[in-house]
Amino acid sequence: MIDPVEFSIMVVGCFLSMCMFSTLYGKSSPLYALAEESYIGFATGLTIVMNLMYIYNTGVVGIQGGDWILIFGFILGIATLLRINPKYSYLSRLPIAITLGAQLGLSLRTQIYTGFIDQIKASIIPLFEGSAKTLIYNWTTFICVIFMLSFFLYTIEIKGPIKLSAKIGEYLMYASFGAIFAQTFMGRLGLFVGSIQNFTVPPWKKPILIACMAIVLVALIALDKLNLLEKLTPEE
Amino acid sequence: MSLLKSFNSYDSRIVYLLLFLIVTIPLLSPMGLPISVSPSTVTYYDVIDALGPDDLVLVVLDTEFSGYMEIQSGIIASMRVMVERDAKMCVAVSHPEATGIPELVFAAIRETVEEHGYTYGEDYVILGYVFPNEAAVASAAQDWQGVIHKDFYGQSTEGTFLDQIHDWSDWTLISDYTTGIQSGSLINHFGLRGTPMIVNCIGVMISTQMPYLSTGIYQALLQSMRGGAELEYLTGHPGPGMTAMDAFTLGHYMLIVLIIIGNIGYFGTKENSRRNVE
Amino acid sequence: MKSRELSLIAMFLSFLVVFVPYFIDVPALDTFSTKLITITAITVSFTLLLAIHSQFKRGFDFVRRKPRGWIFKVYMMITIVLMLLFALGGLETGSYHWAMYAIITPLSSVNYGILAFYLASTCARAFKARNTKSILLILTGFIMLLYQAPFTGAFFDLGPIGIYLANTFGLAAGRMFLISVTVGAMVFGIRILLGQEPGVLGIRSEE
Repeated sequence: MIDPVEFSIMVVGCFLSMCMFSTLYGKSSPLYALAEESYIGFATGLTIVMNLMYIYNTGVVGIQGGDWILIFGFILGIATLLRINPKYSYLSRLPIAITLGAQLGLSLRTQIYTGFIDQIKASIIPLFEGSAKTLIYNWTTFICVIFMLSFFLYTIEIKGPIKLSAKIGEYLMYASFGAIFAQTFMGRLGLFVGSIQNFTVPPWKKPILIACMAIVLVALIALDKLNLLEKLTPEE
Repeated sequence: MSLLKSFNSYDSRIVYLLLFLIVTIPLLSPMGLPISVSPSTVTYYDVIDALGPDDLVLVVLDTEFSGYMEIQSGIIASMRVMVERDAKMCVAVSHPEATGIPELVFAAIRETVEEHGYTYGEDYVILGYVFPNEAAVASAAQDWQGVIHKDFYGQSTEGTFLDQIHDWSDWTLISDYTTGIQSGSLINHFGLRGTPMIVNCIGVMISTQMPYLSTGIYQALLQSMRGGAELEYLTGHPGPGMTAMDAFTLGHYMLIVLIIIGNIGYFGTKENSRRNVE
Repeated sequence: MKSRELSLIAMFLSFLVVFVPYFIDVPALDTFSTKLITITAITVSFTLLLAIHSQFKRGFDFVRRKPRGWIFKVYMMITIVLMLLFALGGLETGSYHWAMYAIITPLSSVNYGILAFYLASTCARAFKARNTKSILLILTGFIMLLYQAPFTGAFFDLGPIGIYLANTFGLAAGRMFLISVTVGAMVFGIRILLGQEPGVLGIRSEE
C-alpha cells in the first residue's frame, strides 16, 4: 500500500520536473514559469530558514553558553542588513570590511600552499627512477606542465624557443580539453540520469513519470497550436 | 546531398528528445550491462574499508540536491561500509538543500543500520547545515566545541561521541561528497593541516580535484556516478549507480555518434560546396 | 563610519588577526582569531537574509508594473512566506518535509540535469575536425567517452589509456588552471588589502 503523502510528493514533484523540462521545447511556456517560480520561492524560503537556524545554533546558543563575544556577530550582522536602507547603508561598510578582511586572511594563508607551492612541489617528480609505466606517466605530466605553463606567459614577448614551447603547450592543452570535456559530459549526464532515476525507483513511480511526461508534452503542443504559449508566459 | 546538409544543421530538439529517450528507456527497463572497476575506486574502497569502531569520520554533504542525484550511489555505498565497520559518523552539510539528504541515505541503508545496531547519538549524529561559508568551516576546524552545540533536530551534542572532537586533529577521516561548495575550504582548513580526506566529486570537478590527489591532500578520489556504481559493485550491494549505468553507457555512445554524424555532415557539405565552386 | 580609511583599516586589522596567528604562535591572539572567524561566519550568514529583501523588491517592482504574467511573481512571494511558515511547524515531518521533497529536491535535480541536453547539443555541433588541434580534442574526447561508458570494457579494455589521459593530461591542465586561479586570486586579494579595489567594500570611486 503506497503512502498517500509519498504519492502526492511523487505526483507533484514529477509534474513540476516535467514542467521544468518543457524549456527544451524551444519556446518559453507558462509551465516552465510555474516550475521556475516554485523553485525560486521555496528554495529562498529554505535558505532563510537554514541560515536562521545556523545563526541560532552557533550564535545564540554560544552566547547562552557564556561566549559573550559572539554578540558582535549579531551587531555586525544587523549592521550588514542596513545595506538595504539608503540613509543608513554606510553602516554596513564596517561589517563588510571586517568580514572581508577575515575571509581574505583565511584564504590567503592557505591557498598559497594548496593552490601554488604544493602544486609546484608535486610537479617536481622523479624522471629517471621507477618502472616503465611510472616513467611514462611522470615524463608526460612533466612535459605537459612545462609546456602548458609557457603558453600562459603574458608578461614577456613570446618568441624563439618560448614560442615553440607555447605552441606545443597549446596542442597539449587541446588534448587535455578532450579528456576534460568527456569528464564534464559524464558529470552532466550523471546529473540528468540521477534526476530521472528519482522518478523510476521504486517501480510504482514509473507510470506516474510516463503520465506526467505525456501530459506536459500534450499541453505544450496544444498551447503552441492555439498560440497561447507566449500569451500565458510571464514577461522577462 | 540533403541528408549531408541535415547532418550538418538539424533542430537541437531532436538531440534533446533522443537524449531523453535514451536515458529514460533503460531506467524504465534496465538491461543489466556489465561494469568494470577502476583502480581509483579500489583505492577509495581500501581507505573506508580500513575504518574501525574507534574511528571518527566527518561526512560532509557538500552538494546541492542536484549533485546528490549524481553521487548518491557513492554516498550510499560509502556510508554503508562505514556502518558495517562501526565507524562513528558525523554528518554535516554545506548547502540548505542537502539537509534533505541524510534522511534518504539512512533510509537506503536502514537494513545495515539495524543489523549492526547503529544508534543515533552513540554511533552517528546529523548536524545539518553547519558549513554555510568558509569562516564556518575554519572555525569548526579550530574550535569545534565553540561552534557546534546542537544537531539538526535541536538536541544538544553534549554526551555524544562529538565530545571527543576539539579541532581538526581529532578526526580520523573527512569524507567529502562534493559539487565544490566548500571543498576548497575543507582542503584549506582540514586537509592542509593533515586530516586525512577522501572525496567523491561530480564529473565536472574531476580534473580540478586531481591536483589535490597528486599532492597527497586527498587519499582517494571516487569519480562521479561511475565511481559510485563501481563501489556498489565492489561492496556487493547493487543500488542506484549500477541501475543507472545502462543509461550512462547509452548516453555516452549517443554523443559519440552525434559528433561523428556532425563531422560527416560538415565534410560532406564542405566537399560539395568545393565541387560547386569548381 | 563613512570614512574610506576606517573601512580599509578595519579590513587590514581583521586580516592580520586571522593571518598572523597561523604562522606565529601567540595563544591570546590565537583565541581572539578563532572568535573573530566565528563572528565572521555568523555575520556572513546574516547577509544571506538579504535574499528576502532582494526577492521581494524584485517581485513588488514586477507586480507594480503589471506586465504579462505578474501573477507568477505573486505566487513566488507567497511560496517564500509559505516555506517560512512551514518551518515553524517543525523540520522533520509535516508541510516543511512535504515541500522539501515534493518541490525543492526534484526541481533542484532537474535544474542542473537540463545542462546535459545543452552540452550534448553544443558538443555535437561544435566539435568538427577542422584542424590538428580539434582532431586532437575529438580523439582524446572519444577515447575518454568510450572508457567512461562501462559497457565498453566488455569488448576492449580502454582502462590503461583512459587512466593515462586523465592522470597526465587532465591532471596537468587541472594543475595549470589551479595555479593560474590561485595566483590571480592572491593578487586580487592583495589589491583589495591595499585599497586598490574600493568597489568591493561598497565605496564609490568619487569618495
